[in-house]
Amino acid sequence: MTATTHSEGKHLGPTQYVLVWVALMVLTGVTLAVWKTHLSYSARVVLALSIATVKAALVAIFFMHLWEEKGVARLVLVVSAVMVTLLIGLTLADNATRYPFANPPYSESWMDAPHRKDAPPMQTEPGPVRTSPATKSEHPGGH
Amino acid sequence: MHTEAAAQGRLAHHFPDMKTQEHAARMGMWLFLSTEILLFAVLFTAYALYRFLFPLGFEEASKLAHVAMGATNTVVLITSSLTVALAIHHARKGENRKVVGLLAITIGFGALFMVLKGFEYYHHWQDGQLPGRFFHYAGVTGPGVSMYFTVYFLMTGLHGLHVLIGMGLLTWVAVRAARGHFGPGYSTPVELSGLYWHLIDLIWIFLFPLLYLV
Repeated sequence: MTATTHSEGKHLGPTQYVLVWVALMVLTGVTLAVWKTHLSYSARVVLALSIATVKAALVAIFFMHLWEEKGVARLVLVVSAVMVTLLIGLTLADNATRYPFANPPYSESWMDAPHRKDAPPMQTEPGPVRTSPATKSEHPGGH
Repeated sequence: MHTEAAAQGRLAHHFPDMKTQEHAARMGMWLFLSTEILLFAVLFTAYALYRFLFPLGFEEASKLAHVAMGATNTVVLITSSLTVALAIHHARKGENRKVVGLLAITIGFGALFMVLKGFEYYHHWQDGQLPGRFFHYAGVTGPGVSMYFTVYFLMTGLHGLHVLIGMGLLTWVAVRAARGHFGPGYSTPVELSGLYWHLIDLIWIFLFPLLYLV
């Protein structure tokens, strides 16, 4: 506890900053390299976002000095991240579990809904219509 | 050194010392940054939602993004974050001339970022890859394609506005550094503007893969 102006004695210096910068550069390269591989699309998305999260953490902890910060200031970013996750997660959960016609026209679940040509949103049987790919190609003609 | 800073009238009367005052200032800045994060979070949610609703449209439309310029901008912003971090380091040591130099480089990187962004916008404009009813690009059409560009312009536009504000802030800090204002007892403006600049970098770190790759 050798108190300089900026709290604890765990001060970061230029060496650490340059190392973090190198790490960020490498991770940017990895993101681009992974994107050009033949991994499955979802695997590449998960990898790209995981790497972005690691990069963001590096920036926050070292460049933004959370490492040497103390007290409740360290909590603010974590709480924000939780709130962002909730906002995105709950919004997607809502739309993912909706009755298909409650999603915008021509969106994926709307397109996948059975009998979309024949059944306008308002006059179908009660209860959610199950979205199944099997019924996708079925377009019973006539009304 | 605290007494020196206090003598210069920088210590508000309700704080016992400069250390407490600076901690409060940083805390306040973090709270402000959290509101910035939530501001962008709404756009990230819009992105996630429309991407979920129109996966094919988004996938095809994002192939029209200029990956090389986006990747260059990522490198530019990350490097500018390094120069700001170094500027803060030297401000704490009172090396104001180095602070001015490093901030000038940072502002230069910010300008470079905006120029590249401008070229990207220009190309999208030329090709008619624009939001909503202004979309008239014939290469890719379908549900969600113009929505991608709505989200793209909103997110990069708000981010670009932040880059401009950040450049303004850093210019002000650089002028103060040129007047020798900062030292071991007082570097708060450099620290807080630095935090703002890093947040801009942090948001771009997510924007780049989401808009250009995914």
